[in-house]
Amino acid sequence: MSKPMDCREAGARLQDYLKQELTPELAAEVRDHLVRCRGCFGHAQFEEQLVQLMEARARKQTCPGDLRDRISALLRAEAEES
Amino acid sequence: MGVPEHSHMAEPSAASVRSFDDEALPHLDALYRVALRLTGEPAQAEDLVQDTMLKAYRSWRQYRPGTNAKGWLLTILRNTFINSYRRRKLEPVAMDLEAIEPHALYRAVESTDPEGNFFGQLVDEKVLEAVDALPPDFREVLVLSDIEGMRYAEIAETLQVPVGTVKSRLFRARRLLQAQLYAYAVEMGYIKPKDGKDE
Repeated sequence: MSKPMDCREAGARLQDYLKQELTPELAAEVRDHLVRCRGCFGHAQFEEQLVQLMEARARKQTCPGDLRDRISALLRAEAEES
Repeated sequence: MGVPEHSHMAEPSAASVRSFDDEALPHLDALYRVALRLTGEPAQAEDLVQDTMLKAYRSWRQYRPGTNAKGWLLTILRNTFINSYRRRKLEPVAMDLEAIEPHALYRAVESTDPEGNFFGQLVDEKVLEAVDALPPDFREVLVLSDIEGMRYAEIAETLQVPVGTVKSRLFRARRLLQAQLYAYAVEMGYIKPKDGKDE
């Protein structure tokens, strides 16, 4: 039976964990630690929230309509040249 | 591979034009978002996206349908940026971000504002500025990972670097981002610096 994961290791694996890049076994170990450790749980929540907020803010920016139109026109012209 | 001699000159067929519309055009938002972070300004971002789409269309035959179109397009975008757009910008005034303790932002938020009101507002106002202040190698990894949701392997392929490099750059990028946000928070009076470590 392996020892439960400690804060150092959970912290080292946190990035991979939040990106869901860990194997199921390792992810389960990290999750177990987070459930038991308030400090690490708080950290994890913070990191996750920051990424979510950043993503939401950035995704408010969408391709402008007139750029879409210009691109469509360009591609049509390109296709017609064949 | 048996690629015909002048295939790079041959125009896409009608079927492949349709598939370009189906597979490539949906990613315009992502391309524009990333272009904004790479160039730092809307006019350049628009030109970059336009150039990218034209290049992509012309090399559409080289793309294998149903494989990762977004990654393929972003690779073209990023390479076009490096080859034609990146110029030596004045480096932002160096704040000593390295001197800001790694968990400073977390601690400050946790102790002064556990409900995250200022955090949400500060991030909304300043996060893109903070991203743009990152050195380019860190910025592009952060953008592809945290804004575009790409996995390590996808990012590695897009940037043509090892997965290990992607991981360590992302780690550093996030640390630098937090240090930058902490600096803004201090500047804006949201938090008081500790021990005079910050400007």
